[in-house]
This record gives sequence, C-alpha cells and structure tokens, in this order.
Amino acid sequence: MGAWEFYITTLVVYFAIDVLSAFSLNLQFGFGGIINLSFIVFQAIGAYVAAAVTLGPDTGQNAFQTYIWGASLPFPLPLVLATVAGAALSLVVGLFGLRRMRKDYQAAVLLIVSLIAWEVAKSDVHLFNGSNGVTGIGRPLGTTLPLSSLGYQWVYVVWTLAICIAVYALVRWLSSSPWGRALRAMRDQEDATISLGINVTALRLQVFVIGGAIAGLSGGLLVEYIGAWSPGAWGYAETFVVFTAMFVGGIRNYKGVILGTLLVPIIFLELPRFLPPIGYPGLIDSVEWIVIGLMWMGSLYWRPQGLLPEKRNMVFPGEFGSVTGGGSKAGFSLASLLRKGQG
Amino acid sequence: MVAELIESEDLKNIVTSPETNPAASKIMLTARDVVVSYGGVAAVDGVSFEVRAGEALGLIGPNGAGKSSMLAALGGQAKVGKGSIVLDGHEISHLAAYKRARLGLVRTFQTTSEFSDMTTFENLVTAGNGYLGARLSSVVFHHRLNSKADKQIAVRAWEMLERFDMTEKANTYGRELSGGQRRLVEIMRCLMASPKVLLLDEPMVGVAPHLVEKLVGDLKSIRDEGIAIVIVEHALEVVRALSDKVVVMSFGKKIADATYDEIVHDQAVQDAYLG
Amino acid sequence: MFTTLISAIAFGVVLASVIAIASMGFTIQFGLTNMLNLSYGGVMTASAFVAYLLVSHGVSAWYGLIVGGLAGSLMTLVLGRFVLRPYARRGAKLFEMMMVTLGLALVLDYGLQALSHDNIYQFTVLQSSPIHLGPIVITPTQVILAGLGLVVFVGLELLLRLTRIGKALRATAAEPTLARSCGIRTGRVVIVTWLLSGFLCGLAGVVYIINSQSVGYSTGELFLPLVIAAALLGGAGSPKGAVVSALLMGIVTQVVAAFGQPAYSTVAGFAVLVIVLLARPGVVAGSQGAEAQVTL
Ligand SMILES: Nc1ncnc2c1ncn2[C@@H]1O[C@H](COP(=O)(O)OP(=O)(O)OP(=O)(O)O)[C@@H](O)[C@H]1O
Ligand SMILES: [Mg+2]
Repeated sequence: MGAWEFYITTLVVYFAIDVLSAFSLNLQFGFGGIINLSFIVFQAIGAYVAAAVTLGPDTGQNAFQTYIWGASLPFPLPLVLATVAGAALSLVVGLFGLRRMRKDYQAAVLLIVSLIAWEVAKSDVHLFNGSNGVTGIGRPLGTTLPLSSLGYQWVYVVWTLAICIAVYALVRWLSSSPWGRALRAMRDQEDATISLGINVTALRLQVFVIGGAIAGLSGGLLVEYIGAWSPGAWGYAETFVVFTAMFVGGIRNYKGVILGTLLVPIIFLELPRFLPPIGYPGLIDSVEWIVIGLMWMGSLYWRPQGLLPEKRNMVFPGEFGSVTGGGSKAGFSLASLLRKGQG
Repeated sequence: MVAELIESEDLKNIVTSPETNPAASKIMLTARDVVVSYGGVAAVDGVSFEVRAGEALGLIGPNGAGKSSMLAALGGQAKVGKGSIVLDGHEISHLAAYKRARLGLVRTFQTTSEFSDMTTFENLVTAGNGYLGARLSSVVFHHRLNSKADKQIAVRAWEMLERFDMTEKANTYGRELSGGQRRLVEIMRCLMASPKVLLLDEPMVGVAPHLVEKLVGDLKSIRDEGIAIVIVEHALEVVRALSDKVVVMSFGKKIADATYDEIVHDQAVQDAYLG
Repeated sequence: MFTTLISAIAFGVVLASVIAIASMGFTIQFGLTNMLNLSYGGVMTASAFVAYLLVSHGVSAWYGLIVGGLAGSLMTLVLGRFVLRPYARRGAKLFEMMMVTLGLALVLDYGLQALSHDNIYQFTVLQSSPIHLGPIVITPTQVILAGLGLVVFVGLELLLRLTRIGKALRATAAEPTLARSCGIRTGRVVIVTWLLSGFLCGLAGVVYIINSQSVGYSTGELFLPLVIAAALLGGAGSPKGAVVSALLMGIVTQVVAAFGQPAYSTVAGFAVLVIVLLARPGVVAGSQGAEAQVTL
C-alpha cells in the first residue's frame, strides 16, 4: 500500500509540473503563435538555478560535483530565483531569437538554442557539473517539517497543486484579457495586428518571458522534488512531449491541455514502466519517442482540435458579457441599457 | 453600476456621428517623391500626392504598377527609400508601422487579413481595444478600467455589425467566412480602430455585387465623417463613385493626378492601360 | 601553435568536403521546396547504417558509398512522396512543413536508436597509414574524401547546367509557377530532385562515417545544423555557394575544436547556423505570400 501511495503521489507531482509546462507552452504557442522548440531549456535553467542556490557552497567535499554560485537559501527563495532565471534567460533568447522573420526559421533558431544550451551544459563541468549533473539537492523544508517521507509526499502534492492552480488562474486571466486577444491576433495575422498600432515585437517578447518564467518555476519545483538534475533530463526532444500533449488534449482549451498532459507524459510515458522488459534495455524508451513523433505528425496532418476543442467565445444579440471569453455571465443587454437611458 | 457608466457620455458620443467636415479641410496625408525599391528595382519611383480629411483618393494602374507597394510605403510595411510622408503634421516615413497606426493610419491588405481563428466579434473587439487596451501594463494595473472599456467596445462592435448587416456572423470564425465577408470584417475592423486615414487595397475583390454598392455607400459616409481614404481598386465604377480625385500609376511612376472624369479621357492613362 | 592551425585547417577541408556533399543535396531540395527539411539528418544516418551493414558483411566500402547513396535516394523519394506531399496537398504552410519534418526526424532517429540498440559502432574501413605533408598528418583516405567532394561538385554543376532535366530543375527552383506555365513538368522535376538530393544525402552519410570512423543513431542529427547553415549561407539552390560556405564551416569548426574544447566545435557550428538564420531576411512572417504553401 505504502509503495503504491508513494508512486501515485509521485505521479501527481509530475502531473502538476507537466501541466505547468503545458500552460507555459500553450500561452506561447497556442495564443502567441511562437513555436518555442527551446521550451525545455527554460525549465532546465530553473532547475539548475534552484539546485545551485540550495546546494550550498561548492566546498570540494562533494568532490564529485562542481557548480557555480552555491548558496543555501531558505525555502521559497530557490523557487523564486528559478522563476526569475527562466524569465531572464527567455528575455535574452527572445531579444535575438524573436525578431520578425520566417516562422520556420524562427522555430529552427529556437531548436538550435536548445541544442546549444544542452551541449554547453553537458560539456562545461564548471557550470553545473557537466554531463553528470547536480545531485543531492535537499527538499524544501525537508528537515524542518516533522513528517514521515509519505507525509512529506502529500505535502508536496498539495504544494505543487496549489502552485498549479495559481498559475492556471494567472494564464487564464491573461489569455482572456485584451492582451490575450492581441496575442491571438498576432498569431493569426501579424501585419494586420501591427496596423492596429500593436507593437508585436514587444508583445511576443512579453509572452515569451511570461512563459519562460512559468517554465523556470516548473523546473525549480521538479528539481526540489527529485533532488537531481542533469543533461539527460532535458534533451531537446522533451519539448515535443509538451507540444504533443497540447495537440492531443486540445490547444487553447485549458481543460484540454490538462487532459493531454494526463494522457501523454503521465499515462503514455509512465505506464510502460509496468511492462516487462522487452528487447534490449532502452527499447521501450526508443519506441515511446517514435510514437511521440508519430502523434506529433498525426496531429499536424489531421489538424485535430484535440479531444477538447477550443471553445468559441459566443456573443448574442444584446449580451456582451462574455466577450473576454472568461465565461463570466455578468452580461447586460443593449436593450436594457437603452431603456434605462430613456427612463 | 456598470450600466450607468455606459449609459453616460461615451455611448452618446458613439451613437451620434460627429459633424461632417467642410470640403476644404486640412491635409491629412502627404506623400512627396516616395521611392520604394526591392533589391535595386524601383517599384515606386517618386510618387507624390496629398489627401485631405473627408476626401477619398483613388489609386489605380495596371497590374504591377506599384500601387500596393505605395500603400506599403505609406503604411510602413515597405521601406521608404527616398521621399517623405507626412501624416497630420508628423513626418512618418521612418516610423515603424505600428507607430504610424497609433497616429491614426489604418489599412487593409490585398490578401485578406482577417484574424482567422477569432470570431468576427472578436476581430472587431481586438481592433476596438487597440494598442492601449492590449498593453500588458493596462491589463495588470487597470484591470477594472479595462473591463469597463471592454464593455463599451463590445457595444460599439455590435453596432458595427448591425451597420454592415453582419450580426448573424458575429460568432463565426474568420476562416469560416466567405471572401467578401472577410473584406467586410477587415473594413469594420479598421473603423473600430477610429482611423484618421484609411488605406484600402482592393477592398471589393470577392465582395458580392449587391454588397459592393452598399459598401461604396458606407465608405462614402465614412469619408463624409472626416476620414481621409486612399483606395486602390481595379473596379473603376467604385473609384468613380467614391473618389474625389484619382492618381494613376504605371511602372512605378505617377502618370496622372486629376478627377475621375478627366482621367478617363487622358491619353497617357489609356496608353498605360492598353499597354 | 602554427602547426595546430595548419592541421586544423587541413582537417577542416576534409570535413568541409563532407559538409559540402550533404549541403549540395540539401540546397537543391531547399531551392525547389523552400522548406527546411529537418529529416535530412535522419536519412543520412539511415543510409550510413545501410553502408555499415554491407561493409560489415564483407562488401567493399566503395560499393558502400554507392549503395548508401541509392538508399538515401530511395528513402528521400518515399518520404517525399508518401509523407511530405500529403501535407503539402493539404495546404500546409512552410512552418508546418518544417514541424512535420521535425516529427519525421524524431521517428527516424529513435527508429534507428531502436534498431541499433543505442550503440555506437566502429567503422574503420579504408584506413591506411597516415602521410606527412610538412606539419600536416593526414591519411590517404582523407585526401580521397576531400577529392570526392570536388568530384561531386563538378558533376552536379555539369548536370544542372548541361542536361535538360538539370535546366528544368533550376528553372523550377527559381520560379515554380512560371516554370509550370512554360510547360515544365514540375512533378517529374520534383521526383528527380528527391532522387538527386537523396543520393547526395546518403553519400554524405557514408562519407561522414568513413571520416569519423563510427556510426550511431544521432550521427546525422548532430551534423545537420552544419549542413543547413552551409546551404542557407550559400544561397538556396546554389551548389557553388554550398561548397564555399561548407569550406568556411568546416575550417571554423575544426579550428575551434583544435583550440577550444572539442564539444565547442559542435556549438560553433550551431552558432553559425543561428547567425545565418537571423541574418537572412528571407520572407518576413505575416507579410504577403510569406506563409506561402509548398510546391511538392
Ligand atoms: N516583396 C517584393 N519583393 C520584390 N518585388 C516585389 C515585392 N512586392 C512587389 N514587388 C514587385 O514590385 C512591383 C509592383 O508590385 P505591386 O504589388 O506594388 O503592384 P500593384 O500595382 O499592387 O499590382 P496589382 O494590381 O497586381 O496588385 C511588381 O513588379 C512586383 O513584382
Ligand atoms: Mg496590389
């Protein structure tokens, strides 16, 4: 029982973190139209920064790993710094990578950013211990809370879910605001958006940085939970998992994004752990990636709306309350308005 | 509370149109010796004209004459190689396109440019919000103000739909509309942005014949509200009905600048068209 | 110091030959379709594996080169016809096509990973004792590989300039609609392009593993950025441009490898591609015709 409970809680934590990733990418790609193929880099920088400011100074006692900074900051600070790092790195990448250019070139630039970051992190041991990565990162409040390890699991579940809900509220509010509408306009027709006076360069950078911050936060949460982080965890292909989850669930529909995350990274990628080993040890992994690639191609071919299609923001004669798509029913009618005006 | 706010001054201003401008109004847009070149070839070669508030200028010429390139120079989509463009007293030839739009220069494109994954209503509301509403800072810090403004814009958008008989298409995505309806959406969107100068690139392509007449009427009334219009159009009856003056381009150069009736009898123009 | 530089340049020239063959293949494809085909690296690796299998069964490496090239042709044609074209038929935009090829790259790469059991295999054929040319230590094989690049370049130029199909290919790449209205059967041109580009792709894959003496599932993918950078830098559809920029890329990466950490030579190659992509204005997103659909 305990093992199961442990496993399920672990899955819930992963799920919450993957949902954060999907929210980030849904904002950037679903609303902003940025094909951010370097998404995983921003999660990784969040994880590395959270790790480096938790581990304490690199005394050489942990002779097997070297890393920069090395502070032991108290509980929420590593997460905050992870978020800031995600945002800062996206600002840097965005400043050169998001200029107006062919969309496929832009996507290629971001993909290569992902490859470069990975090569650098892997081969430069002085940054974050190279390909071995950093390990032994203590859990937040792990020693102060008087909890069994199972009890701690539940605390972490609640904690990640709480963050997830807060971020959900944020992205939903943002994407249904006039700012979110401008994002969609930019995604659909850039020239026309510009001719409404909207500075698309700034807009794109904004959504990129906000998405990067969420990605950094998710990385921080992840590394504080698993306690280790290395280049093996963030190959460029990890970004495809998040994209595929969005495509499958339903892009721009938050419920769809959540459902897709449940199906793809959690059920599809976690279930095979129960399969008996087939072939050589890495076979299941390879097959999983092949299927991810096929799902990705399939969703581009059939252009599905996903399992839960985007909801149309309906308006009815005399009812304008739901323009922002927030689903608020605080509508009012022009007719009643005019009556009041007369009276 | 909200309803009271809406019912106040703003709405009345929207409902009643401003007084029509006198004919001899101020010059809204001046182009002087504008040159646009693509890789050394001049698509627009020293074209000049001016448009007054409440005036419509027809820009015509054979295919490839450089009309769209001229509009791109005005709107900021193409780099102005030489010459100057003055919008309502501001030199804009080196301003970014979005800044020109903020000064009141709004345009449509030769290929329809509706927001395809947004409903007609959202298309209009986006334009109504403009750049001020779309600012992240105003969303975050002036959320309440913003949502009030949103409702006013919604009211205006609905009125716009009514004006163009498009209320049935309010919830239709841009990609689901017919070509003519997309053109209409574009024009409505421009109007939602409260322009001073409106640049239209072949707005009648694909529009059903009975709607063309209506659209011409609407454009006339827009013009009479004091908006300067530059319209590129191959359908000459539209140009005749709408334009106070006509500029003819051929091979990047202006070959005539007069009223429609003078133009049709101009030998150079006939030569250009007959090739 | 000076010797290091000189021999780095010599190795750079050898590498450049490999890049050049691959990016000549890429550039004629790109010139025609205007599409960033990211599955190109996967096809390279797959062809290299075909050659590896042959050679490990005792076939001469020279035949391996030919068969690898043919394998590349076949795969490129099949993928182009039965995978990419259906997307183009559905009106996929350029960036969507790029995403499709990316998915395809994933499938190819991990398919190869599964088939190769995620191992790296030694491929030490055609190795002979090195010769000393002043400060440069180089094997005859490397000299031959460098020469092969030149031969391919001259052959391709002749093909494009002198044969009917080559001329049709150039015309279609320059102006697809015009070519069609001039009576060029673009369908056939597309097939020839796939075959030709695929052959060069496969050939490059085999040449690459002869030079690097090993083959693994990610061989082509890591090499692809260099190839694309050379193709874009040289100008779409221009073999000459591809060769010149391949020389540049080869020398730059080898010099970086000689003086910095070896890993940074890969990074340097990637960085060059980023710079090339950013610097090439191309068609700007959103402006007229920019989201143009692909002719396949
Ligand atoms: N982005 C561009 N790059 C290179 N040349 C261009 C570009 N846009 C237009 N041209 C060329 O400039 C010339 C003028 O084109 P433009 O589109 O302005 O003509 P137009 O008068 O609008 O024609 P039409 O009536 O067919 O719309 C044409 O020869 C065209 O080929
Ligand atoms: Mg035109």
